[in-house]
Amino acid sequence: MAQRARDDDLQRRFEQEALPLLPGMYSAAYRLTRNAADAEDLIQETFLRAFRAFHQFEPGTNLKAWLYRILTNTFINSYRKKQREPQTVSDDEVEDWYLYSKMSEEGMEPSAEAAVLESLPDEDVQEALSSLPEQFRMAVMLADVEGFSYKEIAEIMGVPIGTVMSRLHRGRKALEKRLWDVVRERGLVRD
Amino acid sequence: MSEISCDEVLVEIEHYLHGELDPDRSMLLGEHLPDCPPCFERAEFQRKLKDIVRVKCHSQTPEHLVAKIRQAIRIEFGRSEPEPPGGDRVI
Repeated sequence: MAQRARDDDLQRRFEQEALPLLPGMYSAAYRLTRNAADAEDLIQETFLRAFRAFHQFEPGTNLKAWLYRILTNTFINSYRKKQREPQTVSDDEVEDWYLYSKMSEEGMEPSAEAAVLESLPDEDVQEALSSLPEQFRMAVMLADVEGFSYKEIAEIMGVPIGTVMSRLHRGRKALEKRLWDVVRERGLVRD
Repeated sequence: MSEISCDEVLVEIEHYLHGELDPDRSMLLGEHLPDCPPCFERAEFQRKLKDIVRVKCHSQTPEHLVAKIRQAIRIEFGRSEPEPPGGDRVI
């Protein structure tokens, strides 16, 4: 009976605490898998695994990071193999402040630069992020979309903080390059 | 005069914007930026870019997904539940 009460409590807590994090996790799953059907499967598998392991979760610790860790691990183990990885970017050629410099070269005012980026369709920005190599995509998505700290990302990805910082820096630069390509393709600046 | 150079500021801005600098360092950048238009413009651009990526990369969760997950959890929960004596299961 005591066991049953504990299980009831676990299920109730899981539904109350974990399910509200679904919207952010679905977006993350979509960025990782790059399509809606796989994102849904990935999310269902993630939540099922999380529920099965929930008795090991220590209350009061970081539930969001714990769930995202299961999400990224599930993705790596189950989905990555069947996906064709995007071409690796030759990001070493991308200098710092790439996008800012490119847009400034067009003679744009800083406020106009931001307005051009804001005018991009959501899908274009999502596609730009999704097109990054997996490790960069994951780091940028966790930091700049989901708002995790470097330390949390290190825990989620299971790598040292220095690695997180390097992946983020390179990932952000690579994203800037993709966004610049989109801006040009869309004809939003003179070529 | 600023105690931090523009070169240092430009390297650290991405950490500053993510709230990852220690408080002393963060204060130095915070003091430098309003006094230095070139650094300020870049910082503002980077901040807006970060916001744009965050806002535009959220996908709407399909409505049926929450129900599906709840159902999967209930099934899983039922599976692990011990059979009570007498056979009648109370869900």
